[in-house]
Amino acid sequence: MTDLIPISALGSREPAKLQHGVLTIAENPDLGLASLALRRGDCAPDLGVKLPGPGGWVSGEGIGAFWIGPDQWMIEGQGRASADFLHQVSRLAPGCSVTEQTDAFVDFEITSQEGGAPVRALMEKLVNIDTAAFGPGRATRTRLEHMSVFIIRRAEDRLAVMGMRSLAGSLWHALQTAARRLNHE
Amino acid sequence: MTRLAGGLIDRSQTLDFTFDGKSFKGHPGDTLASALLANGMRLVGRSFKYHRPRGVFAAGSEEPNAMVELRTGAWREPNTRATMVELFDGLEASSQNRLGSLRHDLLAVNDLFAPFFAAGFYYKTFMWPKAFWERLYEPMIRRAAGLGSLSMQPDPDTYDKGFLHCDLLVIGGGAAGLAAALTAARAGASVILADEDFRLGGRLNGESHSLDDMPATGWINSLEAEFASLPNLRIMRRTTVFGAFDHGIYGAVERVSDHLAAPGAGVRQTLWRITARRTVLAAGATERHVPFANNDRPGIMLAGAMRTFANRFASCPADRVAIFTNNDDGHRTALDLSAKGIEIAGVIDTRDGAKVFGSYPLFAGAAVTNARGRLGLKAIDVTVDGRTQTLRCGALGVSGGWNPNVHLASHHRGRPCWDNGLQAFLPGEDLPAGMIVAGAAKGEGTTHSALNSGASAALQALADLGLSASRPRLPQAEDAPTNLKPFWHVAGKGRAWVDFQNDVTVKDIKLAHLENMRPVEHLKRWTTLGMATDQGKTANVTALAVMAELTGKSIAETGTTIFRPPYTGVSLGVLGGGDTGKNFRPSRLTPTHQWASANGAVFTEAGQWMRAQYFPRVGETTWRETVDREVLATRSGVGICDVTTLGKVDVQGTDAAEFLDRIYANKMASLIPGRVRYGLMLREDGFAYDDGTCARLGEDHYVVTTTTAQAGPVYRHMEFARQCLWPELDVQLISTTDAWAQLAVAGPNSRRLLERIVDEFDLSNPAFPFMACAETTVCNGLRARIFRISFSGELAYELAVPARYGNALMERLIEIGADLGATPYGTEALGVMRIEKGHAAGNEINGQTTAQMLGLARMVAKGKDAIGAVMSRREGLAGDSRVLVGLQPVDPAEPVVPGSHLFSPGAAQTTANDLGWVTSACHSPNLRSSIGLGFLAGGGERMGEEIIAANPLQNQSVRLRVVSQHFVDPEGGRLRD
Repeated sequence: MTDLIPISALGSREPAKLQHGVLTIAENPDLGLASLALRRGDCAPDLGVKLPGPGGWVSGEGIGAFWIGPDQWMIEGQGRASADFLHQVSRLAPGCSVTEQTDAFVDFEITSQEGGAPVRALMEKLVNIDTAAFGPGRATRTRLEHMSVFIIRRAEDRLAVMGMRSLAGSLWHALQTAARRLNHE
Repeated sequence: MTRLAGGLIDRSQTLDFTFDGKSFKGHPGDTLASALLANGMRLVGRSFKYHRPRGVFAAGSEEPNAMVELRTGAWREPNTRATMVELFDGLEASSQNRLGSLRHDLLAVNDLFAPFFAAGFYYKTFMWPKAFWERLYEPMIRRAAGLGSLSMQPDPDTYDKGFLHCDLLVIGGGAAGLAAALTAARAGASVILADEDFRLGGRLNGESHSLDDMPATGWINSLEAEFASLPNLRIMRRTTVFGAFDHGIYGAVERVSDHLAAPGAGVRQTLWRITARRTVLAAGATERHVPFANNDRPGIMLAGAMRTFANRFASCPADRVAIFTNNDDGHRTALDLSAKGIEIAGVIDTRDGAKVFGSYPLFAGAAVTNARGRLGLKAIDVTVDGRTQTLRCGALGVSGGWNPNVHLASHHRGRPCWDNGLQAFLPGEDLPAGMIVAGAAKGEGTTHSALNSGASAALQALADLGLSASRPRLPQAEDAPTNLKPFWHVAGKGRAWVDFQNDVTVKDIKLAHLENMRPVEHLKRWTTLGMATDQGKTANVTALAVMAELTGKSIAETGTTIFRPPYTGVSLGVLGGGDTGKNFRPSRLTPTHQWASANGAVFTEAGQWMRAQYFPRVGETTWRETVDREVLATRSGVGICDVTTLGKVDVQGTDAAEFLDRIYANKMASLIPGRVRYGLMLREDGFAYDDGTCARLGEDHYVVTTTTAQAGPVYRHMEFARQCLWPELDVQLISTTDAWAQLAVAGPNSRRLLERIVDEFDLSNPAFPFMACAETTVCNGLRARIFRISFSGELAYELAVPARYGNALMERLIEIGADLGATPYGTEALGVMRIEKGHAAGNEINGQTTAQMLGLARMVAKGKDAIGAVMSRREGLAGDSRVLVGLQPVDPAEPVVPGSHLFSPGAAQTTANDLGWVTSACHSPNLRSSIGLGFLAGGGERMGEEIIAANPLQNQSVRLRVVSQHFVDPEGGRLRD
């Protein structure tokens, strides 16, 4: 175990969290990420979840996956950021091209206390996505305030926004501003 | 007293407001225009060119006259239409475009010189002398012929933006729009109903007739109750859909808090991008007026607007009014006003045999031939059969028929078509895809036909989408024809205004005709008709009709101009739609940003990145002093620099080696695992594209690094090659730039420093030589990558760890390397050291240079093909003799200035004699002089020669000596150790 002390994408020891009205936005530094791409002609490996098609996200026992391109997925390991998630995925997917992505992204998890409506209202201010067609289990890459992000609808009342780690501050500002304005603060 | 009974205003509350500093009272539900009229204020502004006194002319967004400066200080907004301003308590407005008071505007003198200000005045008058334009004419014209003035302060408000998607967008909340929204929403479609007004109903709010034997407002109220229960319907009040864009996208501005005294913490306006599968345009119609002499007197307005002010806002400009009309609709105003207790001085109807509908004096087959009362209407001249009489009245309502609001139907260049029966331009066939027009906007203007037209449009839209719907029961409503007989203007001697806002008269159109500016596009530009902020909503069609009359052509033959977005003015603040200042655009921070910040770094922008430029220490007085220290410390001890910003592309697959052989000009397949090679990429046209290192981590696994600036483009280029050029190759790419914090550790003590943190890893020269790479662990088990590469020319490494540990690693290295002289350095020192070493960077690989010019010709491998290789050998490129050289001033005190061009001593400094240019320069603390790099024709043969660097911008001419580009350690002994 290394004695170097990590910092969050926003530059502090503790992950950021804030609440505006019924919406909570929390930085999730514990999410392990690895991208997985099939070699030419190969079949999808068995990771314990069925790898989803375009625009899809699935989750299973401690592992999730969303589609990021033809024969390409991002694999999520909740609570596995400090483990060597790359090698865990590589072992389950021999012969696949697996790349470490844990610190390539910052993950902000947005939760509503009052169902899906506040989540949809927030999305309308952030991303050009038809919220009616973006129910639980949908994921996409899109643009948010000139930044490239992944958006995942984890549940009616939960949305994940993943952006480039180096842009964490700007993304946090954008999410916070939108949530604050929805709450008329 | 001009406040009437009834109306949709809330008399239980009183709102105080001021106009030109004078206090007035109004009620919620009022607009600024209605409240001013209710307070007897007919004069509210001055015209653009002649500074003629003007009053409220319309009741909606088409208003040409009643433009005010709203609010004060930084919040002041000029050219605000009083008809669109919802009254709030404490509102402050002032009249604009005047010198002195509104009643005694000194610039009204312009009106006396009107003959000089005719059509094409500017084009004819201010032609000579040319130099006078900018210094004299333009400022003078801007002062005299302006509109409102800006606050000249930063906009204190915040703006927002958002995105909406729907099955059906209904534009306009009048009879047609309400019926369309009701039909579609009941069917379960997702519907957005947007209206620029703060109250739904459109013209229904301004009319007195009933729907199903109840007032229209009753029907609207019952609809609103049903609408509130439909979650699939979104009502957007105070929202102007200003443009139809591609693929069913509409731009809309919601005035979120313009109706409040202060937005507080909220946003002022929101820019919505609405993506609609289908659209019903139910934008209604705008009434047109009939020009006659002095028809711009305050108190003269559109008859329909006068009716709206009376019925909806309970206000009227005067207690004795007259109506001038060519259709039955004008009579309605007389009836409604009469019912409200206003005395009707007479209805002047241009139609012979016109019938009277109530008890008011009727002048059939008559025309209004003049208006009297400079600051407010006092009387009109009515001419019947050549006999003129004067009729006393304080206001005149004019009705010349209605023009459908076809604007958005034209936004994709659709041309409106003239309908002779309706005497109006209707939307043509070529509408924006997915748009259906309904109601008065397509000439179906009776309440009955508008309601049915709206429902039909919704049914059609839903059927197109495969959704079933049924026609709702719609209320019984009036369906009376207006029996319009065309009458476009009253002939006569005086000036008759067509376009009020830009002061264009019938005479101006006649002059344009005489001067052969007859096509509609010429007419518009020669007279400036329709080019004011109202875009001629009340003027355009009338002007075409006048021109048609002059040319003897029909209106259909005369044609029409079309419309572009925006429908009404949109503030630039809301178009910007978001953050300003620091957050105007996103910025990327490096993993060591916190440490650098805490250690006093000065940051510089490198694209989106904020990078540490240098780290000043107490006592250092100039940036040069700091940078010199950082360079010397690195070259004598060890320096550490965050180089995370360089792009990192992970390349895997059984064909990864083949893929990279085609991407890079030099060979990469022959690189053995555990080694790094410097690589050069060319563009398709053979010019140098980007350079960096390529590390082979395994048989089928490489990591490509790019320059900071080209990280995105190179990744895109590689993806394009993978997906489109060679889809047969088994190769997978993904960016990992942000995943790893990468630190350059450079200097003779770099190995000793790293030995203190690696976990059982042999860094010795034989085990880990120059250009080696490995995956290992540091600081007790932290996974890391080590590359032995050098940009500085010293013994150097780059060390990568997961980004979250970058900050701690930086801190650790500085802390445990104190005895070795560990020093952080920024981009300035990095630049100095790479120039001293003679490495090319962005200044040299700038898209105009080749491998040969960079001295890298041998890197373009002959035994294989790669992107750009063939083109790099073409004659024009291969024959370029300019090569990269080092440059040093003959007099060490002189500077080398980047951008200077190189000439032989004594040669005239002309383009023909240009030998090249200086690309980069810095002060070298090692050489104790300025040094530079540059491209020089025949540079290889000029070593030791003198050359002149000319910088004509600063009148500089410096003698330089041509030297090797490798100022420091040309043999490379240091980096190989």
